[in-house]
Amino acid sequence: MAQAQTTADDAALLAAFAAGDRQAALVLTQRLTPRVMGQAYRMLGNRAEAEDVTQEAMMRLWKIAPDWQAERAQVTTWLYRVVANLCTDRLRKSGRGVALDAIAEPEDDAPSAADGLQTQARAAALQAALADLPDRQAQAVALRHLEELGNPRIAEIMDTNVRTVESLIARGKRALMAKLSGRKSELGYDDDTG
Amino acid sequence: MLDDTFAHIRSDTVPVSDSLMDRIMMDADHVLATAHPLPENTGAAPSRGLGATLLDAIGGWPSAGGLAMATVAGLWIGVAPPAALAGVTDALWGGTYEVPVLNGDLLSALEG
Repeated sequence: MAQAQTTADDAALLAAFAAGDRQAALVLTQRLTPRVMGQAYRMLGNRAEAEDVTQEAMMRLWKIAPDWQAERAQVTTWLYRVVANLCTDRLRKSGRGVALDAIAEPEDDAPSAADGLQTQARAAALQAALADLPDRQAQAVALRHLEELGNPRIAEIMDTNVRTVESLIARGKRALMAKLSGRKSELGYDDDTG
Repeated sequence: MLDDTFAHIRSDTVPVSDSLMDRIMMDADHVLATAHPLPENTGAAPSRGLGATLLDAIGGWPSAGGLAMATVAGLWIGVAPPAALAGVTDALWGGTYEVPVLNGDLLSALEG
């Protein structure tokens, strides 16, 4: 009920913005920007790039406002799709490999610092491996495991059906495992049980 | 192996900076300004003709209509005064006069 209300509010606010209401833009910015920024940052692992994607996604929202058809999609669904596309585009263009060299060596021998860097290295490796996946596999895996969305919602965002989403996620995760398995010792996975 | 790393990425939140919010609102303002441009204001009052200025001075078109009606009525009274006003017009103009254009001597001279 609350989500339905918010959805209606988002569409109404967007319509008000299209009619010239600046205050509606302010409310939408405050409401939607943290979510958009979070999605972009989790997928890209880089704050500056995530900010660029966030600004671009919101700009597209302002521009589409006059033509928005509330019955066709929720604002948040549309934004998830735009951000996922912008992120995969950016990952593809950057041609980023597994960016472990960019991560500094620990400055001390404290286990906590080393563990933190290892966790950071694993995250960077996973995000880089995500960049090597086909776009739709990367988007499906990110929406499922980084945004924790259900498969029906992912299907709506990706404009496909649930079975296709399940297939994309399964193939994407297998590909990620294959890419990371060759670097298990480098990333310290040999020390782990899981 | 993957699940722990996904969980770590999910837990690594990043705050939204004020500068990003400002940039997003500047974009919104730009789109608004493009879609809803304000009317151009040069600061100068529109120029008006002499006729319009005079019309305003006497009170606009309703006053001009009344003035025209009064003018026509006055002219008509002058041309064909009502019987009740005959005494007044005689007093003002002194009755009627016949003014000879040519006198008898001149007419005789012309006829030879």
